[in-house]
Amino acid sequence: MIIQTALLVGLVLFSALAILLKDLLKAAISLAVASLLLGIVFFRLGAPYAGVFEISVVAGLITVLFILTIALTNTGEEVRESRLVNIVFPLFFVVFIVIDALVMKGLVQKIPALPAAAESGTFGDVLWKGRTLDLVGQIAVILAGVFSVLALFRKRDKHD
Amino acid sequence: MIILFVALPLVVAGVLPLVGKISRRVLPDLLANAALLFLLVYAVAAGRPLIGNGPVLQQLTWLGETVNLRLALDGFSLFMLMAVSLVGLCVGLFSVDYMEHYGAKANYYALLLIMIAGMNGLVLATDLFNIYVFLEVAAVASYSLVAFGLGHDELEAAFKYLMLSVVASAAILISIAVIFGMTGSLSLPAVARALQELNAGPVVGISAALFIMGFGLKAALIPFHAWLPDAHPSAPAPISAVLSGLLIKVSGVYALTRIFLNVFGLTPALSTVLMYLGTVSLVGAAFLALGQKDIKRMLAYSSISQVGYIVLGIGLGTPLGIAGGLFHLFNHALAKGLLFLTSGSLQQATGTRDLREMGGLAKRMPFTAATNLIGSLSIAGVPPLNGFWSKLIIIIALVQAGHPVFAVIAVLASVLTLWYYLLIQRQAFFGKLNERWAAVKEAPFWMTAATVLLAFLCLAVGVLFSLTIKTWIQPAAGVLAEGVQTVIRSWGL
Amino acid sequence: MTNTWYFYLFFSAALVGAGLFALLAKRNLIRLFIAIEVIAKGVSLLLLATGFAKGNVLLAQALVVTFIVIEVSLVATALALIINIYRHTKSLDIRKLAKLKG
Repeated sequence: MIIQTALLVGLVLFSALAILLKDLLKAAISLAVASLLLGIVFFRLGAPYAGVFEISVVAGLITVLFILTIALTNTGEEVRESRLVNIVFPLFFVVFIVIDALVMKGLVQKIPALPAAAESGTFGDVLWKGRTLDLVGQIAVILAGVFSVLALFRKRDKHD
Repeated sequence: MIILFVALPLVVAGVLPLVGKISRRVLPDLLANAALLFLLVYAVAAGRPLIGNGPVLQQLTWLGETVNLRLALDGFSLFMLMAVSLVGLCVGLFSVDYMEHYGAKANYYALLLIMIAGMNGLVLATDLFNIYVFLEVAAVASYSLVAFGLGHDELEAAFKYLMLSVVASAAILISIAVIFGMTGSLSLPAVARALQELNAGPVVGISAALFIMGFGLKAALIPFHAWLPDAHPSAPAPISAVLSGLLIKVSGVYALTRIFLNVFGLTPALSTVLMYLGTVSLVGAAFLALGQKDIKRMLAYSSISQVGYIVLGIGLGTPLGIAGGLFHLFNHALAKGLLFLTSGSLQQATGTRDLREMGGLAKRMPFTAATNLIGSLSIAGVPPLNGFWSKLIIIIALVQAGHPVFAVIAVLASVLTLWYYLLIQRQAFFGKLNERWAAVKEAPFWMTAATVLLAFLCLAVGVLFSLTIKTWIQPAAGVLAEGVQTVIRSWGL
Repeated sequence: MTNTWYFYLFFSAALVGAGLFALLAKRNLIRLFIAIEVIAKGVSLLLLATGFAKGNVLLAQALVVTFIVIEVSLVATALALIINIYRHTKSLDIRKLAKLKG
C-alpha cells in the first residue's frame, strides 16, 4: 500500500510538473515519467496488459509524437504564460487536493454498489470474445486517425 | 446482418485510398455513393420487416466461436439509421461536385464513411462503453473533416472543437466508470435493471449530470454550445450538413435519449432539467441567430435552437411529446442538411458567405433559391411542410401535459425563426441582382440534384405526414415511451 | 464500494482537476494538449480502479486498452492540427486563435 501511494503521489506530481514546466521538452519528458508510474500502478493492480499498453503506447509512442511536434514548432518565440497563473495554479491545486480528500472521506460507504460479474477466461478471451465490438471500434478509430493525418498533411496544389 | 451498417462503410473507407490512387475522381465518387445508397436501401427495405416482431438482437458467431458483437435494432435505432443514411447519401452526392477544389477526394470520402460508420455503430450498440467508442470514432473523423480546407479559420475552429469535445468525452467516460462501479455492469439492459434495484439517489444524479454535460456538449445545447458556431461554418458545406444534420443529433440527442429514457428512466426531475435546457437553447440561440451576417453562422445558431426544440419535446416524456421530438429530429436533419448544402452552392458560386454582399441571386440560381426557400419554410414551421407538423405536435404535447407557458414560448420562438429565415431568403435571393453576380451560374448537376432531392423529401414528408408518423415515428416513439421496460424486457439476453 | 475505490478516486480527481484548470489557464497549444493527456490519465486510472474494486480487472483492462488506442488517434489528429496551425500563424499562442468569436 505504501508503494502504491508513493507511485500515485509521484504520478500526480509529475503530471503537475508536466503542466507547469516552462520548457516544453522537459514537460513532455515529465509526462512520459508520469505515464511510466501509471503503468507500474496498473501492474500492481493486477492489470499487466493495461500496464504494458500504458508504458509502451503512452509513455513511448505519444511522447515521441509530442517531441516530434515540439521539434517541428520550435523556431518561433516562446509563448509567455501568464505569470499570475504560475502562482495561482499551485495554490489552487493544493486547495483542490484538500477539498478532494475531504469529499472522498465523506463519500466513503455512501455509494451503493452491486457485485460485478465474476471474471472468466483470460484477458484474450475477454478482449476478443467479450468486447469484440470495441475491437471494431478500435480499427475504425485507427483508420480515422490515419486518414486524418494524411488529410491534414496533404500537398496543396491550389490554395483556396 | 445488422453489422453491415458498421462494417460496410469501414471496409469501403479502408479501400478508398487504394482506389483513389487508380482514379482520382470518378471511382471514389462512385464507390462512396454506392455504399451510402446501399445503406439507405438496406435500412428502408430490409429494416422494417426485421423489426416487425419486436427488437432484433444479433449475436454473431465468427469462425465458429461466439463473439460478443451484440447489436440491437429496434424502432428507435432503425429510425436513426434511416435518417443517417438518407442525409448521408445526399451529402455524398453533393460532395461529388463540391469537393473538387479541395483535393484528396478519396481521403475525404473515407473520413465521411468512417464518421457514418461511427454514428451507425453508436445507434446499434447495446453497451455503454461501445457507445463511447463509436462516439469517439465519429468525433475523431469529424475533427479533420472540419479542418479539411486547411485555412486559418478552419484550423482554429477545428482545434477549439477538438478541445471542448475531448473534455465532453472525458465527462462521459467518468460517468460510465461511476455507473460501472455502482451496477457492476456495462450493458444497457443490465444497468437498467440494476439501477431499478439500487436506490442510489445522489450518485445517479451526479452520473446523470456528467452525462448531460458530456452529451449536451456533443448536442450543442446552451451553455455547452460554444464550439458549434465556429466549427459548422468553417467546415466544407457538405460536412456542415452532416455535422448539423446528423452528428449533433446522433452523438448528442440519441445517446442522451437512449440512456435517459431507456436506462435511467425519465424521472420528473430529469424531465424538468431537459425541458429547461431545451427551452434555453431554443430561445437563446434564436436571438443569437438574428444578428448574424454570415449565412452559415446563422444556420449554425439555428441548429442549436432546433436541437433545443427536439430536447424540449423528448424531455417532456409523454408519448406525444417524444413522437414530436423525434419527428422534428428527422425533419431538421433533412431541412438543415438541405440549407447547409444550398449555402455551399451559394458559397461556391459567389465566393462569399456574407449576406450583405449577396442579392437577387434567384434570377441566376433558380434551383438553389427554390430549394433554399423550401428548407427555410420547413424549419420555420410553415404548413404544409414537414417542420410545421413536428412543431405542432410538440406544442400540442406541451399544452396537453399542462405546460402552457412552454408552449407559448415555443410558438414565439417559431415566429422568430420564421423571421430570420425570411431575412436570409430576401437578402440572398430576392431583391435586386448585385452586379458582381451577373455572370454567376446555377450550381453543378450533383449539387443541385442533392438539394432538389432533400427539398422534395421535405415536401413529401410534410404532405404525407401521417404516413411518415405511422411507419417511422410511432415505432420509435413507442420504444422510448415504454421507458426502461423496453430495454430490460427485450434487450436483456 | 470498497474503500480502495475512494482512494484511487482521490488521485484520479486530482489529475482531472489539474488538467481542467490547466485547460482554462494556459496559453501554449502544446501545453493545453499535455493538460488533456493528464485528464486522460485520470480517467484511465479511474476505469481500472473501478474494475479493481469490482473484482473484474480483466474487463477493466480491456476498456483501458481500447481507451488508450482511441487516445493515440486523438493525439495524432490534434498534433497534426497544431503543426498546421503553427505553419499558418508561426505561433503556438492560443490568443492568436481569437479570430472566430464563438
